[in-house]
Amino acid sequence: MKKLSLVLFCLCFALPTTAKILSAKSIPANAKMDVELIIPTIETSIYARPYVAVWIEDAQRKPVRTLQLWVGKDEWLKDIRSWWRKVGRYDRVLVDAVTSATRPAGKYRFSWDGLDHDGHRVEQGDYTFYVEVVREHGGRNYLRQKLTLAEESFTHELAATEETGVIRLQYHSK
Amino acid sequence: MLNKKLKALGLACSVLSGVALSCVANAHPRWVLPSHFTVSKEGGDWLTFDVTASHGTFVFDKPAGSQNASITMPDGRSERPNFTLTGKRRSVFDFFFSEEGTHKVKINNQPSYYTQYKAGKRDTEKWVRANKVERASVLPKQARDVVTVVGYTRAESYVTVGKPNEKAFELENKYLELKPITHPSDIVAGEPVRLQFYFNGKAQQGVTAEITREGTLYRNHQEQIDVVSDEKGFMEFTPEIAGRYIMKASYKGELEDKTLADEMKANVHFTFETLLP
Repeated sequence: MKKLSLVLFCLCFALPTTAKILSAKSIPANAKMDVELIIPTIETSIYARPYVAVWIEDAQRKPVRTLQLWVGKDEWLKDIRSWWRKVGRYDRVLVDAVTSATRPAGKYRFSWDGLDHDGHRVEQGDYTFYVEVVREHGGRNYLRQKLTLAEESFTHELAATEETGVIRLQYHSK
Repeated sequence: MLNKKLKALGLACSVLSGVALSCVANAHPRWVLPSHFTVSKEGGDWLTFDVTASHGTFVFDKPAGSQNASITMPDGRSERPNFTLTGKRRSVFDFFFSEEGTHKVKINNQPSYYTQYKAGKRDTEKWVRANKVERASVLPKQARDVVTVVGYTRAESYVTVGKPNEKAFELENKYLELKPITHPSDIVAGEPVRLQFYFNGKAQQGVTAEITREGTLYRNHQEQIDVVSDEKGFMEFTPEIAGRYIMKASYKGELEDKTLADEMKANVHFTFETLLP
C-alpha cells in the first residue's frame, strides 16, 4: 500500500514533466495538411466572388498561420469579421504577404506545410482550423474544426454550408 | 462687405439655433452613431457620424449639434471633425481616420443647469433652466421643494483603425466617465463585456446603466439589459445578439462646490457594436 502511494506520488510529479516534453516536440519534419475547399456556384441576381480567409489557431486561440486570404481591396478586409479581429488587424505586413485576389466558384486545393508565420515548425498539440467566407449581397459562413497535430495521420470532412461546399482536410504525418 | 454681413448673419443664426436646439434636446438622450466602428483600408477611410437626441434606440429625432464633436486620436491628442452639417432631425459629421489605433469619438456639450420645484395646490413638478444664482429671479414666490441640478452628458463611441490600442481611454477626471476594460473593438455576441465607471476621477459604485440593441421599433420588447456598477466601479454584462447597442449610464453625484447647483446628474451615452462570433 505504501509502495503504491509512493508510486502515485512520484507520478504526480513525473506526469506534468512528461506532458511538457511532449508538447515541446515539433510535428514530424515532413508533416503537412492538404486542404480541399469548394466555393459553390450560387444562382442569384447580383453575384460577387466571396472574401475568404483560412487560418490555424493554437490551443490558446493564438493565430499560428493564415493559409489563404482572398479579398479584393483591403477596405473589405474588415468584413471578414472574425479573421480581421483575431489576425488581420494586428499585422499589416502579414496581410500584404498572404493576400490574393478573389476567386470564382470551383474546387481549390492547397497545403499547409506545418510552419507558423515565422517559419518555425509548430509543436505537437491541439489546434483549430478556421474558414470564414463572406459574400457581398450574400451571406457569411464561419467554420471551425479541431485538430490534433502529432504523429498520427487523419482526415476530416466539414459538411457543406450556404457559402462553402464540402471541405476536406488531410493531415499526413510522414 | 455683403459677404462679411452674410457671414455674421450666418454665425448669429447658428448660435441662436444652437441655443434653441440644446433647449429642445435636453430632455431627450443625445447619442452618436458611427457608420462603421472598424477601418481596414490602408491609408485610411472616411467615416460618417449621426448625432441626434431621441427616446428611440438609433431613431433620429432632435438635431443635437455636432459643433462640439471631437476625436481623441490613438496618441491622445484631440482633433475636430472635417465636415459637419445640421439638419432638422439630426446633425452629421465626417472624419478621415488614417492613424493606426483606437480613436474615441465624443460630443460633449457644456454642463447645463436646471431647477426643479413644486408649485400650486396640486404640487405639480416643474422645472426651469436656471442655476442657483439665477433661480431667485425666475422662480415663483410659492415655489416649494426647490432643487437645482447640473447635468452633463457624454455621447461617445470608439473607432479602431488596424491594431487597437488604449491611449484614448485616458480619463479627464471630470463628471461621469467610462473606461473600457473589454476593448470596444472586442465586444462579441455571447461573451461578457467589462467596463469601469469613474465619477470625478474616482471609481464609482452605484452607476446605473440601460443597454439596448438597435431595432426596438421592430420588436415587442425593449430587451434592455440593466446593470449597476460594483464597489470598484466595474460593470459586466453579456450581449447575446450581434448588432449596434447604446449604453445609457447615469449617476447622481454630490457636488463639492454647491454655489451653482445642489447636485449633479451625469450621463455617459456609449454607442458600440457587438460583433458576430
